[in-house]
Amino acid sequence: MKQYKLICLAFVLGCFSAFGQGSLLSKGKISGNIQFDAQYYIPDSIIGAEEIENRIRANGYANINYVNGGFSAGIRYENYEWPLIDFEKINYVGSGIPHYFAAYNHEYVEVVVGSFYEQFGSGLIYRSYEARNLGYDNATQGIKVKAKPYKGVDIIGVWGKQRNLFTAEGQVRGIDANVSFTEIFTKINESDFRLSIGGSFVSKFEKDDDPDYKLPQNVGAAAGRLNFGYANFDLQGEYAWKCNDPSAANDMIYKHGEALLLTASYSMRGLGVFLTALRTDNFDFRTKRNAVSNNNIINYIPTLTREHSYALPSMYAYSSQPVEQIGFQAEINYKIPRRTKIGGRYGTDILLNYSRIHEVKKQYVSDALLPDELIDMSGTDGYTSPFFTFGKLVFFEDFNIEISRRLHKSWKLILSYVYLNYNIEVIEGHTGDPNVHAHSVIADLTWKIDNTNALRLELQHMNTKQDKGNWVYAQLEYSIAPRWFFSVLDRWNYGNPVKEKQVHYYNVATSFVHKTSKFTLSFGKQYEGILCVGGVCRVVPASYGCNLSVVTSF
Amino acid sequence: MKKVIFTILFACITSFSIAQETQEVKTFPLPNVTIKTIDGKSFNTKDIDNDGKPIILCFFATWCKPCMVELKSIAEEYDDWQDETGVKIYIVSIDDTRSSAKVKPLVNGNSWDYEVLLDENQDFKRAMNVNDIPHTFVLNGNNEVVWQHASYAPGVEREYIEIVKKLIEVEK
Repeated sequence: MKQYKLICLAFVLGCFSAFGQGSLLSKGKISGNIQFDAQYYIPDSIIGAEEIENRIRANGYANINYVNGGFSAGIRYENYEWPLIDFEKINYVGSGIPHYFAAYNHEYVEVVVGSFYEQFGSGLIYRSYEARNLGYDNATQGIKVKAKPYKGVDIIGVWGKQRNLFTAEGQVRGIDANVSFTEIFTKINESDFRLSIGGSFVSKFEKDDDPDYKLPQNVGAAAGRLNFGYANFDLQGEYAWKCNDPSAANDMIYKHGEALLLTASYSMRGLGVFLTALRTDNFDFRTKRNAVSNNNIINYIPTLTREHSYALPSMYAYSSQPVEQIGFQAEINYKIPRRTKIGGRYGTDILLNYSRIHEVKKQYVSDALLPDELIDMSGTDGYTSPFFTFGKLVFFEDFNIEISRRLHKSWKLILSYVYLNYNIEVIEGHTGDPNVHAHSVIADLTWKIDNTNALRLELQHMNTKQDKGNWVYAQLEYSIAPRWFFSVLDRWNYGNPVKEKQVHYYNVATSFVHKTSKFTLSFGKQYEGILCVGGVCRVVPASYGCNLSVVTSF
Repeated sequence: MKKVIFTILFACITSFSIAQETQEVKTFPLPNVTIKTIDGKSFNTKDIDNDGKPIILCFFATWCKPCMVELKSIAEEYDDWQDETGVKIYIVSIDDTRSSAKVKPLVNGNSWDYEVLLDENQDFKRAMNVNDIPHTFVLNGNNEVVWQHASYAPGVEREYIEIVKKLIEVEK
């Protein structure tokens, strides 16, 4: 009850300041944002939308922050009393203030007490962050100290527990240092060279109460990184190593873990080339050994693949596999100059992207080999693995090309082709299912009728013999800048091998934008699929109904 | 209890929205957050500056389609805008390590002349109360936020430059 009073008080204060009359706190500044998503659910047995208890569901979030000079503080209230069903499925139930902090920021030092988000290097051994629509939030709750003793030198220390919905669990401690030679030495700063190095160490603690195994209670991980640049060329690399950490994710093996992320890019006016390679081996890092899905994760292993924004190709999005993966990605951006024969009057943009990810090659240790070619790694060192060798099994492959061109002063066209090879067995756990090979073609045409009105037509087709078969997608969007959007779309699974499941997933939506507020109302069907943000994914259940979403900031 | 909270929540949403209508002239300075330049150097957001002329600040990500459409559309007009008003555009990427290294090739590949900043840990995004991207701010010559807009619809960029022109007139 005390907590609720606090919330009310905070809201009242927030409201006051919004009216600009908050003389009480006039020296500082209160700001914040609110998000409210509600849905009315209608059961539909064909698409798999279940009858649920209480058909009206909603999630609510409100951030309120106060800043006064170098001091800042904030809270986030979250409400999942009757949550949207996707959130109920990942156990988001309840309400409260799971995120709160007070911070002081000075030229040389920054201190945060409470909940915070931070990452070391590229996040291979530590990253706390929020991906709200995934229901992912592993904010560290404790203390963070960031020291800047000298220009170009940054040292960060963190110590705390990890947020897991409305509780804080586990123990994480870490330190990171980054030295930028570019900023320290004026000679380098004035030249075309750029150089910085960094290193970090993170450890977690969990009591060993396992009856069978003697488990390490402290597990440490270390990482080193180098960023080098010369003129238009950039190279970034980070290598991480983790002590033995038997867990549910790695079948309780005592092997150490490794991760390597390399990125190179070259760019000049009109051309950008990007190459990246990643290898992770036994690098699932959590504060709880028995944790599954997206819970209690300490680090962040990015995926190498392109994040597709079109609906059909994003149905088969790769989800990062920290336990084992090796792969690379290449991308080229090229702008055919304007006023040329091929480039046309306005120029033409071409984007080419390819990525491929395999399993790592493994040689099981003799202890893990059982008679009849069975394998049981638990309690052993698991396997050995040659560092740069690809295993046979393909996890994911993606080739895509996107051409965008302005045809006329008011017409714009984007054409795209995407080929995906998706290991549905590894990524979604559909045991025994073959890889999905899917070819998609997309056309996206925008007609700017006048200065404020625009019409956009999006057509997509995906061809595949596996999984749910062929799909076609059409969307028409009408916008009146800056306030109104109207959209009608249909996504038809006409190639589903089961005739009754050849469903039209239609959706009608409208949204109204005013400054920083956006109201969206939609009605339609959501197919059962996977939603991914930054390579972290979760299952979205099928649903049918009416949806209202409000976001605003002040 | 639940109902009470929801009522409050809704009441606040409405009041905030109304509040926004009534305080169009209220300005606020940029927060003090350390992010990175496209070359990986530390950059304090207090240092966003255009010698006393207005600034447009756009939050984007490489994977955000409307953001790409917006930045491409503005790029076509940016030369004219600069000639007319001297406005400077800063774009802030919220890409994380999955794609932050793509920002530089993307910007150069598209021949964009924007000032580019990287907000990998999204500290600046949070400090500016950005819910979703694209989200655009217009700053006056004193580097204070005077206007903001969430989302993108073709043609809305005209509004940005209109605000900038008004600011210049007022400052004259």
